[in-house]
Amino acid sequence: MSGFFRQHRLRAATLALVALLPLRAADLPDLFAERVRSCVTVEFLIETELERQPVTVLGTCIDAHGTIILPASAIGARVAVRQLKDIKVYRPNSSAAFTAEYLGQDVLTGWHFLPVEEKFRPELVPVTAWVRAGTPEPRLADEVWGIGLRGKDEDFRPYFLLSRVGLIQPMPQVTAVAASELGGPGLPVFNRDGALVGLTLNSFGQNFLMFSRRERGVPVVLVNVEESSVFLLANEVLPYLGRIPRNRSGRPLPWLGAFGLEPVDPEVARFLQLENQSALVVSEVLENSPAEKAGLKGHDIIVALDGRPLPRFKPDQVTGTYLEREIDRRQPGETLPLTVLRDNQRVDLKVTLGDEPKIIREAERKYFERLGFTVREFLYGDGIARRVKLANQAGVIVDFVKPNSPAAVGDLVADDWIREIDGREIKTYAEAVEALTAIEADPNRAEFVLLTSRGTETAVRRVRLK
Amino acid sequence: MSGSFNRLLEAVVRIDVREVTFEAGARRFVAGVGSGVILSKDGLVLTNAHVASPNAVEISITLPSLERVGARLVGWDHWTDLALIRLDLDEVKRRGLAIQPATFGDSEALYVGETVLAVGTPFGLTRTVTRGIISNNRRFEDTDSIRGYETGTFNTWLQTDAAINPGNSGGPLVTEDGRVVGINSRGYVGADNLGFAIPANIARRVVDELVRHGTITRSYIGLVPGTLQDLEHFYALALNTGVLIKDVDPGSPAARAGLRSGDILLAINGQKVDGRFPEQLPPIQNMIASLPVGSIVRLSIKRGGQTLEVPAVTEKLASRMGEEWAFERWGLSVRKVSRAFARENQLDDDTGVVVIGVQPGFPGAVAGLAAGDIITKIDQQPLAELETLKRIYQRFEAKPVSLLLLTMRDRRVSLYVLKP
Repeated sequence: MSGFFRQHRLRAATLALVALLPLRAADLPDLFAERVRSCVTVEFLIETELERQPVTVLGTCIDAHGTIILPASAIGARVAVRQLKDIKVYRPNSSAAFTAEYLGQDVLTGWHFLPVEEKFRPELVPVTAWVRAGTPEPRLADEVWGIGLRGKDEDFRPYFLLSRVGLIQPMPQVTAVAASELGGPGLPVFNRDGALVGLTLNSFGQNFLMFSRRERGVPVVLVNVEESSVFLLANEVLPYLGRIPRNRSGRPLPWLGAFGLEPVDPEVARFLQLENQSALVVSEVLENSPAEKAGLKGHDIIVALDGRPLPRFKPDQVTGTYLEREIDRRQPGETLPLTVLRDNQRVDLKVTLGDEPKIIREAERKYFERLGFTVREFLYGDGIARRVKLANQAGVIVDFVKPNSPAAVGDLVADDWIREIDGREIKTYAEAVEALTAIEADPNRAEFVLLTSRGTETAVRRVRLK
Repeated sequence: MSGSFNRLLEAVVRIDVREVTFEAGARRFVAGVGSGVILSKDGLVLTNAHVASPNAVEISITLPSLERVGARLVGWDHWTDLALIRLDLDEVKRRGLAIQPATFGDSEALYVGETVLAVGTPFGLTRTVTRGIISNNRRFEDTDSIRGYETGTFNTWLQTDAAINPGNSGGPLVTEDGRVVGINSRGYVGADNLGFAIPANIARRVVDELVRHGTITRSYIGLVPGTLQDLEHFYALALNTGVLIKDVDPGSPAARAGLRSGDILLAINGQKVDGRFPEQLPPIQNMIASLPVGSIVRLSIKRGGQTLEVPAVTEKLASRMGEEWAFERWGLSVRKVSRAFARENQLDDDTGVVVIGVQPGFPGAVAGLAAGDIITKIDQQPLAELETLKRIYQRFEAKPVSLLLLTMRDRRVSLYVLKP
């Protein structure tokens, strides 16, 4: 009985606190002014053959070394590290630019890590400074706030955004969706006391109907790129801040080697007598991959990982992301125990994860200005896309074609696969570069001939230089 | 106009066709109108394959006397866009109707600039005559399919500036003396008077074979020819010789014979070929197609400095368009995967059917199927034939139970449950 009374008293105390809260709202401007110092705007250029494309994104400082993290989407998967130029970091309310170095991308979180130059570090406060022990996880309807940053023309002026938690769900990381925008994408989120509760992700698309003079009620999806209403809870952020890449390529990259892991819907799960769980159909097992070596087969249905049934997520697609994350949190050489359904039998497999073959942003490339195109080396992924067995993989891929150049007039397009140059079979990237360098250097050359494949078609293409 | 031209007018008919489509998960009927030309006293009428196809469920012909008579399909050949139908002769006799066949001319003798007239029923306006000239008598035209069916591979076209409008399709292109030299087939939308007709000499050969066999059998070896156009120097060829092998269909007789892209085809069974320009390619393609199915063909090939004689065994040519069907209680229309479709889409083989339409709210759509999905297995059994699916559907109609479908889409494999 006494226990009951104690509990009752506690509740009364909580009620009194709640009643006091409106008075504490006066603290918010102070909390805001302090926490703004964890937020930065990052500008950089992506240099391509012909142009320099400016990018502006928001980032959060995570440690005393002035390391900034940027969301995965800040830099596209095809962009090579050496294409990143002129990285500049700005603090809110200032036009002073500082430089930063690019450290690489972490495979699990997708974050890009950039330490800023030393003299800027005292200006920054790591976001970990706002971690308060014992801070409860945000719950439905809790008030949460964050920071937005205006553009360069306004000296990156910070502004205050406030909302309430509308929904919390695993995707597979525990993700909260607020009732309205509460911060710039990639910036921290706080509770009423100023304790860190999360980090904003890119905003989700919202459905609208668009009316114009010409069109009536056309469905469109709009994404707010300046502010987001979606955030990862702090528990999905804080444990991973130490995953600073060891090198700019982000390697090692744990690799399973199964293509097209498609989730089953609840109807199919029920049909397969997989109650309250999900499963993934393996579309293809890639040649010479860890999955193939472990005996995984196309059309296998992955039902369990580490002996535990695959959890069911909503929407179904999240199940694929879940498995990817389970791979990415491991290291090459570690084991991934899978259970699959094959011809109605359960089969246990132990996959020893590998290191992923070279990916597109690591590929060697060379631009031939006079010819008007860039070639890059043929990668493992090119073989998958073109269904070419490892034994037959040779040649190079057209990475870029300059508009109106001889190559463009000769009907070469990006992603064409060059297999012969002037009737000579091209085996390696080096051979292709050598042949094209010789052609480019020869002022008397009138034309050259390529054998190229595009989709399922192969064609002889002539590039005239005169 | 001459008397012979007036007699020709009596041979031009309007064709109304009602055909079944299997597009949105249901059997539906659509109506179309075209033109045709009477070939013989026994009621043969020639028109376009895109006017009368095997999907036609009702064909009726309006004679120049404005009398309507039923007709049925004898055979079609979408490769040349020609179809042959036959008037209901009993009905013609019973009603005492007169039939006036047309006379054919020699399309090879046409010269550029020669006056020609297009006769037909554009937009259903009966017996319309438009006049123009032969703009080109050997036109290569690269529209390679109509409604998915391959066309134009084996023939060149007569190009004319005589106005050809929708509904003219299947009507004759005639000389001033009323001789049929072509069958009007298509015009360019948005262009002024760019019309195309199938040459009469090709049409006559197709008609002969359709009358005898109801279908045209062609040979296939899987070569995709390209034009050499001033690449002779690069390939060190004597002038006026050779066809560039642009591509070789994977798994085809040519591929099995070891032919490769970039090879030059110099001769077929010892007969030299010259394919430097696009309009020279259809006759060469036709030469291969005319070989007996299953026969050995000797291909003379130049590869680099070498000249090789390569034997290949011809296969029967098949369309990429498989049979279509609609399973109405599932709200699902499908098309059989053909060998050519499988090749184009890099599928392992021709197992399965492609979903070409779903009806919202029906089991197929509810399960999550969409156009483009390829159903390869049902209840874990490979779906090799469309007939298998028809049998499963009949069982489903008698006793509805849930079925597990395995599909492919962009090489991704998914499972769906089709529930009653």
